[in-house]
Amino acid sequence: MNAEKIQLYAETLLKGAGFTISITVVTFIFAVLIGLTFGAIKAYGGQGKISSSNSVRELMIIISKKTAIYLINIYIEVFRGLPSLAVLFILYFGLANAGFRLEPFTAAVLGLSLIGGATLTDVFRSGFKAIHVGQREAALAVGMTPFGAFREIILPQSWRITLPPLANYAIGLLKETAVVSAIAAPEIMFYARNLVTKTFDTEIIYMLVAVLYFCLSFPLARLADRFERQARVGEK
Amino acid sequence: MIDFLAVYGENWDNWGPQIYSAIWFTLGLTITSYILAVAFGMVIAFGSMSNSKILRWMSKGYVEFTRGVPTLVLLFLIYFGLPSVGIVFDAFWAGVIGLTLSMAGYISEVLRTGFQAIHPGQREAALAVGMTPLKSFRYIMLPLAIRIILAPMLNMLILLLKDSSLCALISAPELMLTAKDIASSTFLPMHLYLLVGVIYLGLSLPMSFVARRVEARMTRH
Repeated sequence: MNAEKIQLYAETLLKGAGFTISITVVTFIFAVLIGLTFGAIKAYGGQGKISSSNSVRELMIIISKKTAIYLINIYIEVFRGLPSLAVLFILYFGLANAGFRLEPFTAAVLGLSLIGGATLTDVFRSGFKAIHVGQREAALAVGMTPFGAFREIILPQSWRITLPPLANYAIGLLKETAVVSAIAAPEIMFYARNLVTKTFDTEIIYMLVAVLYFCLSFPLARLADRFERQARVGEK
Repeated sequence: MIDFLAVYGENWDNWGPQIYSAIWFTLGLTITSYILAVAFGMVIAFGSMSNSKILRWMSKGYVEFTRGVPTLVLLFLIYFGLPSVGIVFDAFWAGVIGLTLSMAGYISEVLRTGFQAIHPGQREAALAVGMTPLKSFRYIMLPLAIRIILAPMLNMLILLLKDSSLCALISAPELMLTAKDIASSTFLPMHLYLLVGVIYLGLSLPMSFVARRVEARMTRH
């Protein structure tokens, strides 16, 4: 149990940390994009009722919007009910068998983004829904386009509600990337398992891994706490 | 499509028994861990609400720790790390302990926010009319808090069910590992992983349906 050994282990694990961080960041971006888009569709696409006064064009628009929301809801249910390991195995081993060979990084980002998008859709939707409808109506009344109203009026106000769960999602995502080692992506856990099979210093190595993950997530946790405190300021 | 589905029919006699026993293993793992995690989470929640500074500090520290360390790392530490210091668990109990430890922190936060949402006057009033602290908890606090915590507690159960798949990597013979084993001997990974995906959905969808109903009901007033 000497310091040199521990230093060697730490250096090896840090090589994986870069990969862990890049998977986390790229997945986070994709998951936010999915969540924002689907969240906005779910929050605003459900308007409009089918009545006899609708023209055919209006009817088509309403029906396609409702279908979109229906499909999004199925997507959410499916990806919130599946373990990430199952999704990754389908994408990596299943697709490879069917002839589409994905890189571990691609499979990991794709799988985790789909799962994350399902979580974040409802986060964004409830954020948008929490903004009073009058805000949007006023923006439309002064001549803003629906997209303009969304970008300039709704989105900036909704951050207060969506930032705390977003930060918590980022922490959960960072932890979840450990699973990716099961499809041979060279991240922290992957290096740890390699080290263990070479040196048999099991407990020290996994302890170091725990410390490393903790250090990576600690700043995020502080950020999440700060967002939560800020979100509560206006409430009382 | 028909060809794809026919494979299940041909192999079901062979796969069925293994898959069934794996489902029971997964359910056993999930439910045992859930019960222990709720019990442990309750202890931590009380710790974080207690008057003692040390207890509060310890509970906070524990929640921080589980918030930052992946479940997989805990499982590996328990299953592969502890034997080298002389403590050996089989895959089931290593899984239960790992899942319990990682989930208890989250559950304690759910419980804590639930209890803290109740006006302190409720408890004071209960104590003032002569209830013991235990009675005030049992008859006043718990019934009031239940409507806040029930839906998130069900979501925790779904989370735990999904996390139990991680035990495949410490060689616990649950759904994921069974699928992996059959897939590697039959070279039909797509069939098997889709099958376990559907099984996980079949287990978690009813729970999330109930959770949503409960949530809608409890927040109505």
